[in-house]
Amino acid sequence: MTKIQLVDDEPNILSALRRLLKPQGWEVHTYNTVESALGGLLEHDYAVIVSDYQMPTADGVTYLQFAKQRQPDAMRLVLSAHGDRSSMIKAINQAEVYRFLSKPWDDYEVVASIQSAIDLYRLKLENRQLREEVDTQKAMLRAREEELLRLETENPGITRVHRDTDGSVLIGDHDG
Amino acid sequence: MTSLSHQQADPALLNKRLEEAKRQLMQSEKLAAIGQLAAGVAHEINNPVGYVYSNLQTLEGYLTDLFRLTNAVDSAESLDDLQLIKKNLDYDYLREDLKDLISESREGIERVKTIIAAMKDFSYIEEEDFKPADIHKGIETTLNVVNNELKYKAEVVRDFDDLPNVECIISQINQVIMNLLVNAAHAIEDFGQIHIRTRASGDNVIIEIEDTGQGISEENLNRIFEPFFTTKPIGKGTGLGLSLSFNIIEKHNGLIDVDSRPGEGTCFRITLPINQPLTPEAE
Repeated sequence: MTKIQLVDDEPNILSALRRLLKPQGWEVHTYNTVESALGGLLEHDYAVIVSDYQMPTADGVTYLQFAKQRQPDAMRLVLSAHGDRSSMIKAINQAEVYRFLSKPWDDYEVVASIQSAIDLYRLKLENRQLREEVDTQKAMLRAREEELLRLETENPGITRVHRDTDGSVLIGDHDG
Repeated sequence: MTSLSHQQADPALLNKRLEEAKRQLMQSEKLAAIGQLAAGVAHEINNPVGYVYSNLQTLEGYLTDLFRLTNAVDSAESLDDLQLIKKNLDYDYLREDLKDLISESREGIERVKTIIAAMKDFSYIEEEDFKPADIHKGIETTLNVVNNELKYKAEVVRDFDDLPNVECIISQINQVIMNLLVNAAHAIEDFGQIHIRTRASGDNVIIEIEDTGQGISEENLNRIFEPFFTTKPIGKGTGLGLSLSFNIIEKHNGLIDVDSRPGEGTCFRITLPINQPLTPEAE
């Protein structure tokens, strides 16, 4: 199931968001300290992480920067009551957030942002998976080609089939 | 011009003007301080408003669900149909969560109410009389106003003694306490502690505000009560906070002194008489 992490020092914000996201069917994990959220990063792979900006021990940008190193694929969003320019610039430049949402929020905006973040996250994963598939298939092909080449050098002509004019397969030493 | 020279000759009138000017300066410093706090207060209010607003939208959804059930009472074919609808609603969760939703939202609105009331208490202009007041209540009001400046910088530790009501202009004492608290928070680099201690001592009460911040250097310590002296960056401080605090405490026939060790912290101590000395009315 798609996992979402919510971090905010205000427990009532977390319950409101939990209520809001419940009908979406995502697995929502809430943390009201940065420390416990860090613990969550070790246990779960998240599609989306939504963090508050101002929190007692570390600010949201610092936390998201850490989360970025830990889980680079997870999409990062800030939900902040503090909409000044410098905090937004920090969020964009340092934590490379996908969205900067402000409190009070509009429910549909939060849901839509998380939904589109999930879509992007899935796209990223799918992209990587397809790439890996291509890579393994390429490797397999190369191995086969090499094997054919080896056989050909050891027994020239072995990799080719000789046919008669009527299409029947000719067996024998044709080089002679 | 004769009237001016006449006025200049009247020290009582001049004194009155000086008092008026001081009062205005104090009020504008207070407004400046509130202005600087405004962003923090907005943050404090946006948080509860944020979840209450979201909860209301959720509540709307819940009600739609519940009405679907109650409307079905009339139209349903059988009791089984009703029970099926009820089951589909996740009725038990809804019922449980509604209680939490309401109580958390109420908590949020109360929080906003407290902040607004504190702001109002704080910016009250007219109160000019010495009246017996509860110092602890004043401190709590002030803490509500500056909460956002403090909570990310320090843990506030209260150590309150039993205090009698103190004859003072409480809005002005609040302003002094606010200045000291905000300064304390600014002095702390990462995260520290701010101790607020009160105790009664003979005819006085003593209020101490101590931080674990960077302290004040020797050469600045002598200047902190000077008007316009500030070490804060331009736009962050008016340089009037402590100087006006000093004036306020002086006007209350009290004392304000400071102990500071660079690197360890600063402690401001306010000593206020419980009762103002009797002064002849026609001074």
